[in-house]
Amino acid sequence: MSAQKKRNFQIEAFKHRVVVDPKYAEKTWKILEHAIHEIYNHNASGLSFEELYRNAYNMVLHKYGEKLYSGLVATLTSHLKEIAKSVEAAQGPSFLEELERKWTDHNKALQMIRDILMYMDRTFIPSTHKTPVNELGLNLWRDNIIHSSKIQTRLQSTLLELVQRERSGEVINRGLMRNITKMLADVGYVVYQEDFEKPFIEVSADFYRGESQQYIDCCDCGEYLKKAEKRLNEEIERVSHYLDLKTEAKITNVVEKEMIESHMQRLVHMENSGLVKMLVDDKFDDLGRMYSLFRRVQTGLTLVRDVMTSHIREAGKQLVTDPERLKDPVDFVQRLLDEKDKHDKIISVAFNNDKTFQNALNSSFEYFINLNPRSPEFISLFVDDKLRKGLKGVSEEDVETVLDKVMMLFRYLQEKDVFEKYYKQHLAKRLLSGKTVSDDAERSLIVKLKTECGYQFTSKLEGMFTDMKTSQDTMQGFYAAMGGELADGPTLVVQVLTTGSWPTQSSTPCNLPPEILGVCEKFKNYYLGTHSGRRLSWQTNMGNADLKVTFGKGQKHELNVSTYQMCILMLFNNADQQSYKEIEQATEIPTPDLKRCLQSLACAKGRNVLRKEPMSKDIGEDDIFFFNDKFTSKFYKVKIGTVVAQKESEPEKLETRQRVEEDRKPQIEAAIVRIMKARRVLDHNNIVTEVTKQLQSRFLPNPIIIKKRIESLIEREFLERDKEDRKLYRYLA
Amino acid sequence: MKKEDTVKLISAEGFEFIIDKKAAMVSQTIRNMLTSPGSFSETEHGRVSFPEISTTILEKICQYFHWSLQYASGKETEFHIEPELTLELMMAANYLHT
Repeated sequence: MSAQKKRNFQIEAFKHRVVVDPKYAEKTWKILEHAIHEIYNHNASGLSFEELYRNAYNMVLHKYGEKLYSGLVATLTSHLKEIAKSVEAAQGPSFLEELERKWTDHNKALQMIRDILMYMDRTFIPSTHKTPVNELGLNLWRDNIIHSSKIQTRLQSTLLELVQRERSGEVINRGLMRNITKMLADVGYVVYQEDFEKPFIEVSADFYRGESQQYIDCCDCGEYLKKAEKRLNEEIERVSHYLDLKTEAKITNVVEKEMIESHMQRLVHMENSGLVKMLVDDKFDDLGRMYSLFRRVQTGLTLVRDVMTSHIREAGKQLVTDPERLKDPVDFVQRLLDEKDKHDKIISVAFNNDKTFQNALNSSFEYFINLNPRSPEFISLFVDDKLRKGLKGVSEEDVETVLDKVMMLFRYLQEKDVFEKYYKQHLAKRLLSGKTVSDDAERSLIVKLKTECGYQFTSKLEGMFTDMKTSQDTMQGFYAAMGGELADGPTLVVQVLTTGSWPTQSSTPCNLPPEILGVCEKFKNYYLGTHSGRRLSWQTNMGNADLKVTFGKGQKHELNVSTYQMCILMLFNNADQQSYKEIEQATEIPTPDLKRCLQSLACAKGRNVLRKEPMSKDIGEDDIFFFNDKFTSKFYKVKIGTVVAQKESEPEKLETRQRVEEDRKPQIEAAIVRIMKARRVLDHNNIVTEVTKQLQSRFLPNPIIIKKRIESLIEREFLERDKEDRKLYRYLA
Repeated sequence: MKKEDTVKLISAEGFEFIIDKKAAMVSQTIRNMLTSPGSFSETEHGRVSFPEISTTILEKICQYFHWSLQYASGKETEFHIEPELTLELMMAANYLHT
């Protein structure tokens, strides 16, 4: 007993202290036994703790521990048998209450007994490896009360019945339930499991199997999910109120399995209320519920995802292959964007922004957008429309959102080079006609394309912008150099375009009117004078002109026309009447363009500055054209558009396609050479895979075409076939 | 000090030591006596008699209780025990679970 008091001293009794009285043990035990009886009878107030403790202490000290212990077991057992009888006798609802009351009593008594016998607990029990007093008390309770034949089954069925009653809406005494289940758990977790949890789970499984069958036959999907969610929450709440926490996983598992897993196929595919219907109707709540419920089941989300994917694919496929839709490219793309927005919202609102769902959505879009070979063209047309007029008066952020969305569609495209081709064409038209709404928006889109596809992809597009800028400077320089020399003549604006950067349409230049030709020559001399070693050729098919015209009654109009139309109209300065043949001869405009120009000059209502004979919608080779003196218009400025198909016509489409294919050849060859240079020797299949991998950011090369390119490279002696293995190619440096 | 906060310890010869409950509870045995859920007479009266512990020893024990509290709160001093008391003191310690 000092600073080192923690050391356990085992004190042997002194010989002289051995009590001679042979009845000593018997007498002492009687005192203790009496005390235990009194404790159980709530009569402990008269007892002296010190006396009882001293007696137990002395018994153990004088080697009567065994007697003390076995006496304790016998006394406890007899008391518990009494208790069992009174519990068994309890009728109806008082059964659980009686059990609960006796359990509280027993616990309290047990603690007092343990305190009195503390010395035994501390020394005798560890050295003889017996069960400590408290545990002994619980074990005896288990064996004599809970496992008593008349109580065990009755307890179980009473508990299960109470749960069942609560499930059907009755209010039960949850505190009582909690105390009883806690008693089972206190006596031993195994007891709780065996005597309550297991049968509880089994009964619940049966119950939910039946209930779910009943619900699914009469509810629609949304309603069913609501019910399932409610049941699930109820069970979770039940566990938190009066069951052991470890039961939660098991019971939720039962509900998940019986209410969701066994019916999920049927739920998802329910007609008029299943997943597809929810997606179509934007049922965010129902979808969210489905997500959170199905997530609990192993294959639940996979099922939802698969059904969603196939639905989006199907709907998308219908959208992109519907011939009606192909008529209006802008609307077509807008619908795609709407579809994407709709599903994005569903995923973010209802599906917890699940990455796997986003991926599924992306792959679905990629799948169906590429089903239509014209998608790249349409997306470019959509951008064209937006940049021409759609973005007028729209804030900068909105412009960015639109462009970002377009970029997202662009990412889905497999044939990015086709898009590039069209984009270049449309951009060229926009730039040359000065139709682009916002330079910033144009540049922003180019930057986006650049980050997406790299410098290569946009270098030519950027070249186009540079050309526009330099042309402006050149024109300023030209007029400064010419001074007053040009004051009378027509004003010429030339855009010098770098060959290669712009989509060139090989066209034979038409014959310009002499007035224009003069200025053009002057410009040519000026330009070639300042830049040596260059060649200028006129792309008359891409220009436009403003003409001042005085009509019969003296009214003046300014006509905005294309260069071709300008050429035609200028002919009427000298003559009021021109035949088709004459016009063709004088201008040398290619036939289809000429017809188109004449049609828009003579046949369009409100813009018919020419008259033709005979009057008809189409232009014939024998038609004769007159200057229309009677032309009137409310506006001073009249814009005469050419009848240009915004969308490409069939032959043009084929031509573009061909050009794309042509452009792909060198790219494929370059890829093959790059790969072979690094690998030296490679077999055919591997080349095809590698080439596809290298090029997939731009387009999906066709294996047959790759094969042709390999053959062509062999012909040109870049590669050779291995002499033994014909499938192997070697790189020849 | 309030009566509820003290406890009376009585030696074999009938000497009464009134000490702080907190100090007395240094002994596990006394702690149980005073806190057991049942209403033992000790709990009710705040009085414990030890018919097997002599006054000298009980006095020493009470001193030890207080010393022990101080020691636990960081005041490290020696606790002096007269050699002739050692044996009986150890037996009492075993009894009191100290």
